[in-house]
Amino acid sequence: MSLSIPINLAVEDDLSEAVLTKMLPARYDVGVCYKKGGFGYLKKKIRGFNDASNSMPFLVLTDLDMGECAPVLIEEWLPVPVHHNLLFRVTVREVESWVLADHDRFAKFLGIRKTLVPVNVDTIDDPKEYLINLARGSRSRDLREDIVPAKGSTAKQGPGYNDRLVSFVREFWDPCEAMRNSPSLARTIRAVENFQPEWDH
Amino acid sequence: MIVSHITLKNWRNFQSVDVDLGNRVFLVGPNASGKSNFLDVFRFLRDITNPGGGLQKAISDRGGIPKIRCLAARRESDVEIEVSLAETATKETSWRYAIGIEQEGHGHRNTYLTYEQVWEGNQQILNRPDNADEKDRLRLTQTNLEQISLNQPFRDISNFFDSVQYLHLVPQLVRYPHAFPGPGIPGDPYGQNFLERVARTRKDTRQARLRKIEEALRVAVPHLKQLTDIKDKSGIPHLEATYKHWRPKGAKQREDQFSDGTLRLIGLLWALLDGDSLLLLEEPELSLNSGIVSKLPALMHQLQRQKRSRQRRQVILSTHSADLLSDEGIGGEEVLILSPSAEGTGVKVASSIREIRDLLEGGLSIADAVLPRTVRQMELGAFK
Repeated sequence: MSLSIPINLAVEDDLSEAVLTKMLPARYDVGVCYKKGGFGYLKKKIRGFNDASNSMPFLVLTDLDMGECAPVLIEEWLPVPVHHNLLFRVTVREVESWVLADHDRFAKFLGIRKTLVPVNVDTIDDPKEYLINLARGSRSRDLREDIVPAKGSTAKQGPGYNDRLVSFVREFWDPCEAMRNSPSLARTIRAVENFQPEWDH
Repeated sequence: MIVSHITLKNWRNFQSVDVDLGNRVFLVGPNASGKSNFLDVFRFLRDITNPGGGLQKAISDRGGIPKIRCLAARRESDVEIEVSLAETATKETSWRYAIGIEQEGHGHRNTYLTYEQVWEGNQQILNRPDNADEKDRLRLTQTNLEQISLNQPFRDISNFFDSVQYLHLVPQLVRYPHAFPGPGIPGDPYGQNFLERVARTRKDTRQARLRKIEEALRVAVPHLKQLTDIKDKSGIPHLEATYKHWRPKGAKQREDQFSDGTLRLIGLLWALLDGDSLLLLEEPELSLNSGIVSKLPALMHQLQRQKRSRQRRQVILSTHSADLLSDEGIGGEEVLILSPSAEGTGVKVASSIREIRDLLEGGLSIADAVLPRTVRQMELGAFK
């Protein structure tokens, strides 16, 4: 049996944190989660995380959004060699697609038909908008009010969006089920499963 | 019911205000822009309707008309307040209440109503001064709103104003209420009698609320358990919790040992659970860790939902916090920007400003799009 691996997280938002926490195998022991709203903070601090990986492994997760592909993003953010202990992962295109990837449970959570969720979620251009549109069809008024922004609002998400999705991920979301529908999630899960930190002595 | 619209003339530092309000309203602006003065309108209306209150007391408690009237106001102008009330944010206005107040230019400098008007829907049901007022000018020193014998046709309005709550809890006052003797402030805004209020609440309601609060505190203050209220030997109410440490039973702590943040959070959560009328909050972010502050808007949204009526309780709050305003679920239509100028402070809905609307459409949060407009730099040169 291997020893537990200490690791720090660096993510864009609460939902990404919830997804990583649920996804990490039990042998990981999460320390600090660095999160300051959005990718700007991560992009600015990534070199610091890379340097700090010497003494503590880091798992950084960011959204590809409309970017070309993950390797290009990594190369652009971190033009220096990526430390072995820095796991730099990119969701295609947003963490919402990983949430949607567990079709059955997500459809059940919203109370909608599961055929409404596409098979390969990595092909959805704007997963967040897609998810919110699915929630519009939910039978639960409370869920709709929380996830969907009010009519005429400039907000891009409802007032209880994070709360609802974070609790869905914590309570129901199954990464093993979800990885079948998202190649980018599958790659991340495999990377995390195979990871062994290297320590400087 | 919620206040769906408000217009003000010459109220404190506002010469003229005319804005819509929704279920949640976030007031932002630099220091001394008038955020508390804006909240004070609703407290003023409450003070008029409160038993033992009334127009004259509400004015004298505030230091008289010269303190209330906008300094930027031109001569001979009265103070005017008009509010529209609606069942919910999406429904039509059900009530409209308007008053004008002025001070005599000479003599005793008494304060009189210049008018008092009430509309039920589109129909006006009160229009003063009427004949009786013309005959007896003294009648204009009181509103019909404050008089039970006269406000029966619009009792809903006076009940609504009467139950407005304002909270700006000062932890030191909660801990040491007896160190600050005196008559206390109407409505107990600073929490001096907070513990008594908790103790006066019906037992099952009180216990249910404290359980909910303990649940919410679980993440913020994980070592605090079993939050209950007790009375000491002299009958003075206290809050008590078990502070978990390495000893199996933990240790009991009372409110005077709670941290500022814990007390403020308990007060805030209690206020959110207490009642269903308009709640005014002054900088709820004070003393709280940024991780908790960023969750406050969602928490308010969750607790605003009324179990029985499916209506939402209205919350109006002032804030300087970027963490609070970073919540992407806050829309530009929920934010009022207060900008001071030589003509008094102007109030605008954030999304009505084209530039801000564009920034929000472009994916910026309220904190990113709005707060830079409220920042003022302090010159440190004088301290060198």
